[in-house]
Amino acid sequence: MKRRQIKEIALREIRTRGRSRGYRAITFIMFALVIAAPIVMSLIPSSSGDLRDVTIGIAGDAPNGLGDALEALSTDFYDLEIVDLGDDTTSEVNARLDDDNIDVAVEAPANIAWSESEDSELTALITAALQRAEALNRATELELDLDDLAAVFEPIEVEQRFVDGSSNTEDVRSAVAFFGLFLAFLLPQIFGQLTMLSVVEEKSTRVVEVLLSQIRPTTLLAGKILGLCALAVVQLTLIVLGLLGSLIATDLVEVPASVWVFVPMLAISVLGGLAIYTTLFALLGSLISRQEDAAQVMMPVFGPLMVGYFVGQSAIFGSADSLLVRVLTWFPLTSPMLLPVRVARDAIGSVEVAISLGLLALGTYLLFRLAGRLYEFTLLRTGSRVGWGELIRLSQGNV
Amino acid sequence: MTAALEVAGLHKAYGDVHALRGVDLVVEHGQMIGFLGSNGAGKTTTMRSIIGLTSVDEGSVSWKGRPISVDDRRNIGYMPQERGLYARMKVHEHISYFGRIAGLENDIADQRAHEWAERVNLDDRKDDLVQELSTGNQQRVQLAVALVHEPELLILDEPFAGLDPVAVSMLASVMSEQVDRGVSVVFSSHQLDLVQDLTEDVTIIAGGRTRATGKVSELRQRSPHRMLALRWADDPPAWTPDNADTLEAPAGESRFRVPADVDAAELIAIAAQHGVLNSVSFEPPGLEAVFIELVSS
Repeated sequence: MKRRQIKEIALREIRTRGRSRGYRAITFIMFALVIAAPIVMSLIPSSSGDLRDVTIGIAGDAPNGLGDALEALSTDFYDLEIVDLGDDTTSEVNARLDDDNIDVAVEAPANIAWSESEDSELTALITAALQRAEALNRATELELDLDDLAAVFEPIEVEQRFVDGSSNTEDVRSAVAFFGLFLAFLLPQIFGQLTMLSVVEEKSTRVVEVLLSQIRPTTLLAGKILGLCALAVVQLTLIVLGLLGSLIATDLVEVPASVWVFVPMLAISVLGGLAIYTTLFALLGSLISRQEDAAQVMMPVFGPLMVGYFVGQSAIFGSADSLLVRVLTWFPLTSPMLLPVRVARDAIGSVEVAISLGLLALGTYLLFRLAGRLYEFTLLRTGSRVGWGELIRLSQGNV
Repeated sequence: MTAALEVAGLHKAYGDVHALRGVDLVVEHGQMIGFLGSNGAGKTTTMRSIIGLTSVDEGSVSWKGRPISVDDRRNIGYMPQERGLYARMKVHEHISYFGRIAGLENDIADQRAHEWAERVNLDDRKDDLVQELSTGNQQRVQLAVALVHEPELLILDEPFAGLDPVAVSMLASVMSEQVDRGVSVVFSSHQLDLVQDLTEDVTIIAGGRTRATGKVSELRQRSPHRMLALRWADDPPAWTPDNADTLEAPAGESRFRVPADVDAAELIAIAAQHGVLNSVSFEPPGLEAVFIELVSS
């Protein structure tokens, strides 16, 4: 019976909120954004791809064919511009370097001139180009077959592997961590406020009095939370599928297989965050009778949400293993945001994950029990809002 | 036979405010009780306590002789004083939804919603949103919601407030039908004439306590006063019986409230010495007067 009542309450929430313009608009906007972003990024022509702009000056007496060799060797790494320095004097070359007209100058016979500090990667490129050009010049002098020689110097394809994952994997992991953090921060706010709206609506229209004549407050609370979490899951699924579909269709990034390991963790964290925050928002909604008072009671909830978000950001871009990050990973109101980040950064062990999830589940359960108890006293209260002092007294059983 | 509902010694305090100081109420099977009291007397708190919306500090609520349980409360149909409806839900959907909440299967809830929409004369409005209905029609929906699961006890808090005569008549007939079916009904109202038309049985509370309970005729008889009305052939004389209160009266008439133990024949004989009487009435006070006596005592 209780299960049926929870189902009825949940279905009503799904129908009512799911049909609301607000929910449909937010879902559509987020879905459109995650689909459009990769498409737009793939359509924007990159001026140089990911290649670095480099200007190399070549003195007139530098080895013949140096420019061609540089062009050939730099294709995959640099967007190269070669400036012919002609018969410039050393002081003129120095002036060009100081004025940043050129990044580096190559002088005869095989000198490399820098403005201040050496760029070792460029040195390697120029050295290789000098050797190639010089080798071709000597082969010409020795009347060797240039085609054979070109075959000898044909660049080989070098592939790399990384024992701890490639930098691309790290980038994707960070991106997924940020995506998870953002969702864990945003969705509880959206659906928490929808829950609060629903509670205040039922209080202000006195429907709650009719409902509570047939069902227990905890049944009403459970149905409401389940219904709104179901709507959140639909929205979350659409966002994730939209993003993945768009990424795959545009072939913008290659998603490494290892990323899929922490996608379930991301989903669990977001759902855990939704459960605990919708419960909290429902409780706070029962303290007021008018939507105008919502801002007053909501303020304290934003504290842990903001802390979790900003510490989560610092964990993505900085240390994911600091004491603060570790402590907040165990705190149920911030763990939904920090867990996916630390898992993505590979900065948390399975035991700590289990403890954190256990504490989140326990925290949600205790908050639900408390909210159910307080609901009995606060839902039928109309007029002025229930104050924090009174709420504490009620939670201690002093009715 | 065990009473359907028995409320005994209810006490409830909100801080220093004592809402209930000892409310007793007994409702037999198929009985309709008018639950009367002035504003703030404790009627709504008592009704909410029966339903379980408000916990009590002391006292008991029994259903068919045993402490009322959560399951028993599903046998109650409740209509609150302030109407509680989802404004943006359709009439039929609304009645059906509350039927399902009360435990009806989907098809039965749906069927009952049709029947009740028809019974409360909202058949042609069943696809309208509740917010599009007038206050009176919303009241009809509220009644249908209270009755859709065919409860054994109906608790109606000020059901006639704000209704036009047609709606009052419809509601009264539905209440009487339910009583004929064996349903017990408790309703509160300030319209005492309406209460008398509907039922003989009343319970009057004041200051959070039950002051009187029984049939209207018995309560009237129990009153320590009687109403004496004298219609004179000429202008009323300037005469007042001993120990009597003079009441307002229409032209050519005198009205007095006298002690109940007065000798009526002797009093009328004395009155006749002061003028020619066309008619005389000596009877217990009406329900309204009894109510005021009890509430102000």
